[in-house]
Amino acid sequence: MSPNKPRVLVVDDEQAIRRFLHLALTSQGYEVSEAASAERALALATSCRPDLIILDLGLPDMDGVEVTRRLREWTQVPIIILSVRGSEGDKIAALDAGADDYLTKPFGVGELLARLRVALRRLPHPGSEPVFTGGDLTVDLAHRLVTVCEREVQLTPNEYDILRVLVTHAGKVLTHRHLLREVWGEAYELEFHMLHVNISNLRHKIEPDPTSPQFIITEPGVGYRLRVN
Amino acid sequence: MPFAGFWLSQMPDIVFRAELCFGPNLALDEAKQMNMRDVQRADRRGYWWGLGLVALATLLGQLVHRFFDPTNIMALYLLGVVITAVAWGFGPSVMVATLSVLALDFFFVPPYLTFVVADTQYVFTFIAMLGVGLTISYLTSRIRQQTQAARRRESETTTLYALSRDIKVATGLEDTLHTIIENAKETFQHDIVTFLPDPERNGKLRPHVGSAGLAIEDKDLAAAQWSFEHQKTVGSGTDTLPDASGIFIPLNASRGPVGVLALWIADSAAPLAAGQTRLLEAYADLAAVAIEHIELAEEARNAQILAASDQLQTALLNSISHDLRTPLVSVIGVLSSLQEEEMGLDEAARKNLIQVAREEAERLNRLITNLLDSSRIEAGAIRISRQLVEVGDIVGVALGQLSGRSGSRLIKKNVPSNLPFVSVDFGLIVQVLVNVLDNAFKYSPPDSPIDIGVQQVDDEVEIVVADRGVGIPPEDLAQVFNKFYRVHRPDSVSGTGLGLSICRGIVEAHEGRIVAENRPCGGTIIRITLPIEEPVTRERGKAK
Repeated sequence: MSPNKPRVLVVDDEQAIRRFLHLALTSQGYEVSEAASAERALALATSCRPDLIILDLGLPDMDGVEVTRRLREWTQVPIIILSVRGSEGDKIAALDAGADDYLTKPFGVGELLARLRVALRRLPHPGSEPVFTGGDLTVDLAHRLVTVCEREVQLTPNEYDILRVLVTHAGKVLTHRHLLREVWGEAYELEFHMLHVNISNLRHKIEPDPTSPQFIITEPGVGYRLRVN
Repeated sequence: MPFAGFWLSQMPDIVFRAELCFGPNLALDEAKQMNMRDVQRADRRGYWWGLGLVALATLLGQLVHRFFDPTNIMALYLLGVVITAVAWGFGPSVMVATLSVLALDFFFVPPYLTFVVADTQYVFTFIAMLGVGLTISYLTSRIRQQTQAARRRESETTTLYALSRDIKVATGLEDTLHTIIENAKETFQHDIVTFLPDPERNGKLRPHVGSAGLAIEDKDLAAAQWSFEHQKTVGSGTDTLPDASGIFIPLNASRGPVGVLALWIADSAAPLAAGQTRLLEAYADLAAVAIEHIELAEEARNAQILAASDQLQTALLNSISHDLRTPLVSVIGVLSSLQEEEMGLDEAARKNLIQVAREEAERLNRLITNLLDSSRIEAGAIRISRQLVEVGDIVGVALGQLSGRSGSRLIKKNVPSNLPFVSVDFGLIVQVLVNVLDNAFKYSPPDSPIDIGVQQVDDEVEIVVADRGVGIPPEDLAQVFNKFYRVHRPDSVSGTGLGLSICRGIVEAHEGRIVAENRPCGGTIIRITLPIEEPVTRERGKAK
């Protein structure tokens, strides 16, 4: 057991899903511990200090959103939510409570591993990288410079702020509320339309094809995510 | 009775006067307001009129006295008896008959101004006159009673007919109860309350009040409950619970009690007349039949719905069990062959098998998603959480979800950049587009292009998906959106006939439309139209 292996805590009440995740993750070099209930999960989170938690929203003994909230009281460990389709409300609640990302069951291992890598990569220096590069898009946070194909793009202050927030959380899904709060402040948390209009304008400026975005990905009903390669 | 009939028909003015005594409209007046006090006052007036008629006959007699025998003057008095009997009934006419005999004796039979009779034959005249007078009184007053009864019955029949006619056009229980209450209120001039068993409260009676501000006290509820359980008329004017606020009549229908009708008597000093009680009972019978009728109709409808949903479930199970099992056959088959090591599969074959299993598992996932959505739409449980969405974004997300399935196919997009925002449930509308595109993929050759266009038409946005497939037979165009409907073709592609029905459910929940057309040069066009709720400005720049 190498101390460098990232530790992942898998919380799901279905044994088959735990087994499948255990196999998939250990084969990729992760160290996996399992919990079948929220109570056990909270206990394990304190005792084995995982580097990442995969948390199912539908636990028998406690609401997954509540588990997220309790974890966030003392730890910033990345949390990836597993949910079923149709429970967008719970998903948003968990993300707003501090979860980092979500996956809708059923999901492929490739997708899960990609999300895991994104969540873990952010861990050591959150938002500290001064320059983001993804494909043809470069965002220099230090100089407030945005270029597409090495051509400078003029953004309004709000558009730049949205992009800045997305870049500092690259790969992570950000809820509408989160973006509105970060860019405009808490008083504007429900002005969803303002956000949509700005995102639309931003896409027209930085996306090669705004109707099939390469950088700013829509998470239907939840929020937006900046794609990382 | 031809004799009395003759009198009645010959003396319309007298009948008219009789009506005047009881008010302008005897027929309705009888039913509505004839309580004891009115009757008594009318009777007393009859005696005074009788007295007047005797006096009048005496006066006339005095005028013709010198030309006629006293026996002929008797006819004048008998006329008075008849008039009194017709107009005021038995009592006054008996009095008039008696007084007439005495007056004849006193004024016209010698010796005058005494009751002494000189000629004994007049004793016979008096007896005969009294006999004739009393007979006329009796017969005429009976005719009068019968006429009145007939009028009352006619008025009751008219009222009940009006009620039954109104009930017939009433729709639903609430409407019927309202009709009964309003009708009865007008007829009886009292408030009416119906009490029906409330299934939500264990069959306890629940009052249904016609006019606001009517206080139903506990004792009234208790009276209604008692009446309901014991099938007896109770309340004011009866022996049971006489201090309740009204008369409670059980509503009995052929299948047993359906409720209680109560007439609220505000002034307990004025109980209901006998005729009105009968009318009220007739009302109760009609109400009972009407309520039972509605209950039966409701039960029949429920039974029908149940039968229909049963049929649907059977069809669903038949259709679904096949579609559910087919992908599982592939998945289990692939997994078991991978497990059998002696099969000695090479790497390419293994990869191929795994690909098959994955595709089939994903098909199963889509099928289950569709089934769940379909049942949610069916149950009306689909919740639409609207938000303003750019239409281009919907197209982008839908295509993103299908990226694994489009293969090398060319997808031609015509999505203008200045499209308005629509207020929709993002996830659901994306699913509509995914289902439509999925069909386009399935029902057109793998290398043929698919066109997606979006345009604003007036205050609507139209999303058009067109393929180069075989199209839909014209007679099926309207039906492809029905549940479980599939276009029957020899080389039919697998599917459940749920996808488009889900699309329609979602689009219609958004007050939009979805239609299928055939493309002039071959292929299918699906048009999804969504309303633009509010004009939204798209100013570029700072939105703050």
